[in-house]
Amino acid sequence: MEKFKKYLLLPIFVFITLSISAQNESSKNTPDSSIQTEKSIEQTADSVEPLDLIDSFNKILNSTGFVFIDFKVILMLLISCLLIYLAIAKQYEPLLLLPIAFGMLLSNFPTAGMFNPELFANGKIHWDIFTDKGGLLDYIYLGVKLGIYPCLIFLGVGALTDFGPLIANPKSLLLGAAAQLGIFATYIGAIGLDFLPRQAGSIGIIGGADGPTAIYLTSKLAPELLGPIAVAAYSYMALVPVIQPPIMRLLTSKKERLIEMKQLRMVSKTEKILFPIVVTIITSLTLPSAASLIGSLMLGNLMKECGVVERLSKTVQNELMNIVTIFLGISVGATATASTFLNIQTIKILLMGVTAFCLGTAGGVLLAKFMNLFLKEKINPLIGSAGVSAVPMAARVSQNVGQESNPHNYLLMHAMGSNVAGVIGSAVAAGILLSILG
Amino acid sequence: MNNLLLTIWSNAFIICGIGIAIVFAVLIVLVFILNIFSAIMTTKIKIPTESKNKDDFYEIHLTASESAAIAAAIHLYYYNDIETEKQQITIKNIERKYSPWSSKIYGINNLVR
Repeated sequence: MEKFKKYLLLPIFVFITLSISAQNESSKNTPDSSIQTEKSIEQTADSVEPLDLIDSFNKILNSTGFVFIDFKVILMLLISCLLIYLAIAKQYEPLLLLPIAFGMLLSNFPTAGMFNPELFANGKIHWDIFTDKGGLLDYIYLGVKLGIYPCLIFLGVGALTDFGPLIANPKSLLLGAAAQLGIFATYIGAIGLDFLPRQAGSIGIIGGADGPTAIYLTSKLAPELLGPIAVAAYSYMALVPVIQPPIMRLLTSKKERLIEMKQLRMVSKTEKILFPIVVTIITSLTLPSAASLIGSLMLGNLMKECGVVERLSKTVQNELMNIVTIFLGISVGATATASTFLNIQTIKILLMGVTAFCLGTAGGVLLAKFMNLFLKEKINPLIGSAGVSAVPMAARVSQNVGQESNPHNYLLMHAMGSNVAGVIGSAVAAGILLSILG
Repeated sequence: MNNLLLTIWSNAFIICGIGIAIVFAVLIVLVFILNIFSAIMTTKIKIPTESKNKDDFYEIHLTASESAAIAAAIHLYYYNDIETEKQQITIKNIERKYSPWSSKIYGINNLVR
C-alpha cells in the first residue's frame, strides 16, 4: 500500500515542480515580450486607418459580380439555364448538354475568373501567364486545346461500337461517304456568308453529326468558334428525330420505303479483329491528320473485339468515357462567353449547322436511291440518312420511319452499318479539312 | 478585289471537290477490302440452283420474325432462363428402417415404467 502511495505521489510532485518552473520562466520572459508587442502595435497603428463600416460594406459590394453584371451577362446566364432545363426536363443529349450548359454558366460570372480566353489567344497557349492567371476551367480546357478529350471519347465510342453490320454489308460505307456531302456543301455556304476558310471548315463539320470530331477540328482550325459550334452540333444531334424524317419522306416514294432487306450475314471474330487494324493502316497512311481520331476509334474497337483486355475495354466504355465527357462538356461550355456567343456569327453558325444536317441526310438518301439503279438486291433508301454519324439515333430514326410504312420491316442493323460508316466518313472528312486548311 | 473574291471561291470549290473525292476514295478502298474479307472468311453454303422440280428445295431466307424467334430461343437457351425439367423425382418412397428412436412401441414401452 505504501509503495502504491509512493508511485502516486511521485508524478504529482514532478507535475507541481515542472509547473512552478514554467511559471518562473514565463515571469522572466513577460516584460520583454510585452515590450515587443507594444512596439509592433505602435508600428501598425501608424499604417492602419480606422475602418469605416459603410466604406467596408461598399468595398465588398463593389467586388461582387452584381456590379459588373450587364445585359449580355444576364442573357448568357438565361441561355445557360435554358440549356440546363432542356438537358434535365426534355433530356436533349443530357450527358453532354448538362455539363456544357453548366460550364457556360460558370464562365459567364463576372470577375470569377474561371475561364480566361486571353490565355489561348491567337491559337496558342500562353504558358508564361498561365500559372498566374489560369482559372479552374482554363486547366480543364487544356484537354480540348491539345486535342486529347475528343480522341479519348473516340476510344470509348470505338469500344461501344459494333462494326459487324458494316463488315457484313460493305456497301454501307458508300452511304457514310455520301452523307458527308453536307460538310463540304456547308463549307461553301459558310464562305458565302463571309466566314474565313478555317472557320467555314469548322462550321461545315457540324454536318458530320459527330460531336468529338466537330470539337477536335474546331479546336485546331477556329478555336474562337468552339462554343457555338459545339452547342449547335450537340443540339442538332439531339434533334435528329425531328430534322431527318421530313427530308427522308420527301426524297423517297412509298414503294421505296417498303423495300425489305435481307438479313445480314454472320461476321466472324477474325474479321472483327482485322477490321480496326486494316482501317487504321489505310486511313492513317492516306490521311495522317485523321490518324489520331481514327486510331483512337479503332483501338477502342480492337480492345472490345479481341476479348483479351476485357478490363481495359470496360474502363474505356464506362469510367474513362464518363470522366472525359464531364471535362469535355464543362470546358466546351466555358468557351461560350458573352463576347464569343452573343453575336450575329452564332446565329449564322446555327443556321449553317441545320443546313449541313439536312444536306448530309439528303446526300445519304439520294445515293441509296442512285445505287438502287444498279443493284440487283435493292436497298431501302431510308438507311442512307443514317450515314450522318449521330450513333445510334440516326439508325433508330431510319428504323422508325421504315416501320411507319411497313411494320414488319427491320432496318435497324442495316442502318447501323451506314451509321458507323458515317463515323469513319466524318473523321476522314475532318482529316481532309485539317490537312488542307490547318 | 474581284480577283481576291474569285480566288476565295475557286479555292472553296477545289477544297470541296477534293474533299468529297478523297472521302469516297478512302471508303471505296475499304469497300474493296471488306469484300475481299467476306470472300475469304465466309463459308459458302451451296444451294441447289438447277433443280428441275421447284418443290425439291426451299430457299434459305428467313423472315425477320423467324430470325427474332430463333434469336430469342438461343438467348433463353444460353442464359438458362428457359424452364427445364430438373430430371429429379420429386416424390421419393423412403423405406423407414427400424430404429429404437423411431419406433412407436419402443417409445411407449420406455415411457410407461
